[in-house]
Amino acid sequence: MQEERGDTHWSQAISSVLQGNLCWHHRHAASRGTPQDAMTADKEKRRAISREAARRRRRVESDVFGDLSRLLPLQPSVRAHLDKPSVIRLTLSYIRLQTLLKETAGSHEELGHGARYRHGGEAQDGCLFELGKETEGLDPLDENSMYLKILEGFLMVLSTLGDMIFLSDNVSKYMGLSQTELMGHNIFEYTHPCDHEEIRHNLRLTAELGCSQKRDFVVRIKSALTHRGRVGNLKSTTWKVLHCQGRVKLCAASSSVSCVLLTCRPLPLSHTLLSTHTFTSQHSMDMRFTYCDQRVTSLLGYRPEELLGRSIYDLCHTLDTSCLNKNHLNLCLKSQSVSGRYRMLVRSGGYVWVESHSAVIPGVQPSRSRPRPNPSQPLCILCVTYILSGVEEPSLQLSLDQTFQRYLR
Amino acid sequence: MSAQNAAAGGGDRAGSEPADDVLVEEEQSNSLPSLMTPSITSGMSSSMDMPRKRKGSTDNQDSKLAMISDADMEDDQNRSDGEDQHVKIKCFREPHSQIEKRRRDKMNNLIDKLSAMIPTCNPMSRKLDKLTVLRMAVQHLKSLKGSASSFSEASSKPSFLPEEELKHLVLKAADGFLFVVGCDRGKIVFVSESVTKILNYSRAELIGQSLFDYIHPKDMGKVKEQLSASELHPRERLIDAKTGLQVQADLPIGASRLCSGARRSFFCRMKYNKIPVKIEEKETQANTSKKKESQKYCTVHCTGYMRSWPTSQMGAEGEGEGDKQDSSYFSCLVAVGRVHSHSAPQVNGEVRVKPTEFVTRYAMDGKFTFVDQRATTILGYLPQELLGTSCYEYFHQDDLLHLADRHRKVLRSREKIETNCYKFKTKYGSFVTLQSQWFSFVNPWNKEVEYIVSTNTVISYDNSRTARSGHKSEQSGNSKASEDCKKSLPVIPGISSTSGTMIYAGSIGTQIANELLDFNKLNSSPSSGNVSPFSLTQEKSPQTLNQITNSVPNGETSDMEIPGKSSSDGEPQGASFPGGDSLMGENSQLDLDSVVGPSLNSFSTDEAAMAVIMSLLETDTNLGEAVDFEEMHWSL
Repeated sequence: MQEERGDTHWSQAISSVLQGNLCWHHRHAASRGTPQDAMTADKEKRRAISREAARRRRRVESDVFGDLSRLLPLQPSVRAHLDKPSVIRLTLSYIRLQTLLKETAGSHEELGHGARYRHGGEAQDGCLFELGKETEGLDPLDENSMYLKILEGFLMVLSTLGDMIFLSDNVSKYMGLSQTELMGHNIFEYTHPCDHEEIRHNLRLTAELGCSQKRDFVVRIKSALTHRGRVGNLKSTTWKVLHCQGRVKLCAASSSVSCVLLTCRPLPLSHTLLSTHTFTSQHSMDMRFTYCDQRVTSLLGYRPEELLGRSIYDLCHTLDTSCLNKNHLNLCLKSQSVSGRYRMLVRSGGYVWVESHSAVIPGVQPSRSRPRPNPSQPLCILCVTYILSGVEEPSLQLSLDQTFQRYLR
Repeated sequence: MSAQNAAAGGGDRAGSEPADDVLVEEEQSNSLPSLMTPSITSGMSSSMDMPRKRKGSTDNQDSKLAMISDADMEDDQNRSDGEDQHVKIKCFREPHSQIEKRRRDKMNNLIDKLSAMIPTCNPMSRKLDKLTVLRMAVQHLKSLKGSASSFSEASSKPSFLPEEELKHLVLKAADGFLFVVGCDRGKIVFVSESVTKILNYSRAELIGQSLFDYIHPKDMGKVKEQLSASELHPRERLIDAKTGLQVQADLPIGASRLCSGARRSFFCRMKYNKIPVKIEEKETQANTSKKKESQKYCTVHCTGYMRSWPTSQMGAEGEGEGDKQDSSYFSCLVAVGRVHSHSAPQVNGEVRVKPTEFVTRYAMDGKFTFVDQRATTILGYLPQELLGTSCYEYFHQDDLLHLADRHRKVLRSREKIETNCYKFKTKYGSFVTLQSQWFSFVNPWNKEVEYIVSTNTVISYDNSRTARSGHKSEQSGNSKASEDCKKSLPVIPGISSTSGTMIYAGSIGTQIANELLDFNKLNSSPSSGNVSPFSLTQEKSPQTLNQITNSVPNGETSDMEIPGKSSSDGEPQGASFPGGDSLMGENSQLDLDSVVGPSLNSFSTDEAAMAVIMSLLETDTNLGEAVDFEEMHWSL
């Protein structure tokens, strides 16, 4: 059947290329009427018939494509510009998404949540709806779109093969490419080649049956946005680092709809209010402290000066070495990272649970005239470390730093 | 070609362009290009140049995309494409048919996928033709739309996912719940239904309550601070991403827009019920003591925005805010709380711990720098008793050779090294049989060994203090003697001035670490100086090592400590140290290329870079000699 389709295309191509020439021949053949010409005329006739048939077939096909695209939930302006592969691509996404939703609805019914969610929840929803209504005049913001706004990211649903089954439409804010441009394509086309293995790893585990599994990784994705936030030239894309968090959704019934639900968001290092339970530090690329803010003293007991030149690995609990190692690798490779929970040793004994959000930045403050960092400029790692817990086991001395001898030096 | 087709072709191009041209690398304009660029160019040049070339000859680029995306592409097709590339480079006009073929392949592939997704196509064993598949797809979509009542043609903004479902998926992905909390008193104004699954509290229980009732007492201050929108007590509270410096937050008070100063991201511990709430039970269970017992805390990451709006517009909702006369704004925090994954970081953890295990960390020379508290129950020592001492002081003399050998191995290997069973002296003088897994933790950036991590498993307890006489090496006598010395003499690194003549077990580790450094320096001839690296009679002081390790791994300390040293003995050694700084720079530069290599796997294979650094170090030949630096000490 493939061949058949192929042949059709071939003949289409030939006929369309030759069309001009043939018509000219045809006319000539008719006017002269020699036997040779009669033969060509006969051939011509047959070709004309097949051409007509092909044209009809194409017309029918186009009509079906039109029907299909009209069934998709698209804006008319978008619909008008869709090519045939895109129509199929989006149709596939739509069908997959519907299957997925059906599955979720089913599982909800099982848990007894679905009904409550829709009916019982109504009364309580009123609370926020009212709030929403009140604020509408000031800021058109409905509850549903609020979720993504609050998360400062977009939603991505990936198949186990990496097809982007669904992307929330605010993806354009992050990638500069629209939902319809991206949906149905494969994530590997849009991510950094060096990250493919990791993505594959995160998708692969979905095949194994087990209860819901969490996902948390950092990925470089193409972005057509310029650094000023405009949608730039499509030829000049940059890599945007996104923190993807989410979970695997397994569908035992139809494995084809098993997928990974992810929220993808840039690391919001720059514009978040720092709490007093947070300290910032800068490190050389090998994670030795080059700067640490004063708050570390009240939080961990170290004086900023005594940390300078020390490796962060000395400060962490040995059991969390791998966590920090991965964080460091992410920083070296992707320039941004979220560490996840790890334990930092407290000066006076014991440890606290912390999480660091870090990014690689040019070490020296760049001058206004040259916003582009000089390649020779030393890079440094900026860490914002959140303290998650109180001091645990404060009486325990676990590391050499915590022992009394160390104090004396 | 019919007009329709031509139009489709045009659309095709428009559709494919973002995908393809995006591949082309460019001069990066964001803040981190210098780090990323090498990898982009190297990583992409192989595969990404091709579409570019093709672009010269054709306008159809989708085909390439289809190839990349098509995971189950057949090999021969790949190969033919490779050949095709060669042809194309030679002759630009030729491959039109190839391009057409690729376009068709892509289309066929899509149709195949489609037919696999449509239930009515599945039962038919034979392959359906394109048109049939498309028609069935139309039918299928119609039926889907019939069932999905939420989507209607009339809706002004058609979307693939009904808002309600989107919200649902987002919460599912985030594993979180939305909540709105009034800033003044922490009243929970709204919480999404999904909280029931996460904290096991019903929504009705929470709404109207104070958020602080559900926050860990120690985190109250933290949360209060985050809710205080108007006053930012400490000045510098935001980070400028470009410079990494903290800047003052300029928070527009009462701003109704989501603005940057209003962003919140914090962690707090929240109560959750261990027992899932049953819908019927929730009222009866409300205030029982049993509930208190079942409460635990989980870490929740809250991200969201401060929002506020004039109370004049609040209307009926303002009942609780009536007492807030002074402010005409009602402000609240709208945030999503997502439960922090507890086990995520350990997923592919290097270290796993069982009850009969404990974890220790050694410096390169075998000195304890970290001891897990479980060691106390197993060995009797408090961590601080072990910290700073050499592990060799506790090993049975029979095992010294073996362990030293493993120690040597682990420093040179990136693999985990298993030791045989060995005896470790406990505080009470008895021995406990341990087996350890050692690996040297290597800094990902500069490939230097930070420390050795040891996971120790208890095999058996052994109360006899007598050593097995089976295979005593001649050294054991020595080491025994050394141990005896050890007992009487506390080892304080960097102080024992008589170490030239005094031999103790701790020096074994020092020696081994020393060897490695020598090995690294004289790259070609490992341990050439000392024929038997393990010879205890060697007259080496541990300080030598201290000096080396201090100066080599971290350029910072070398800067401070070398001048004094080189002036004291005037050795040519000093000459190599000023280079230390530039050396580090070189190092990182070199590493950068390999670091941002094609994959994580290639990360450790930067022997070439290492070789360059080592060759730079080779000028330093006198390190074997003992030097007397009292001030030197371990940086650990």
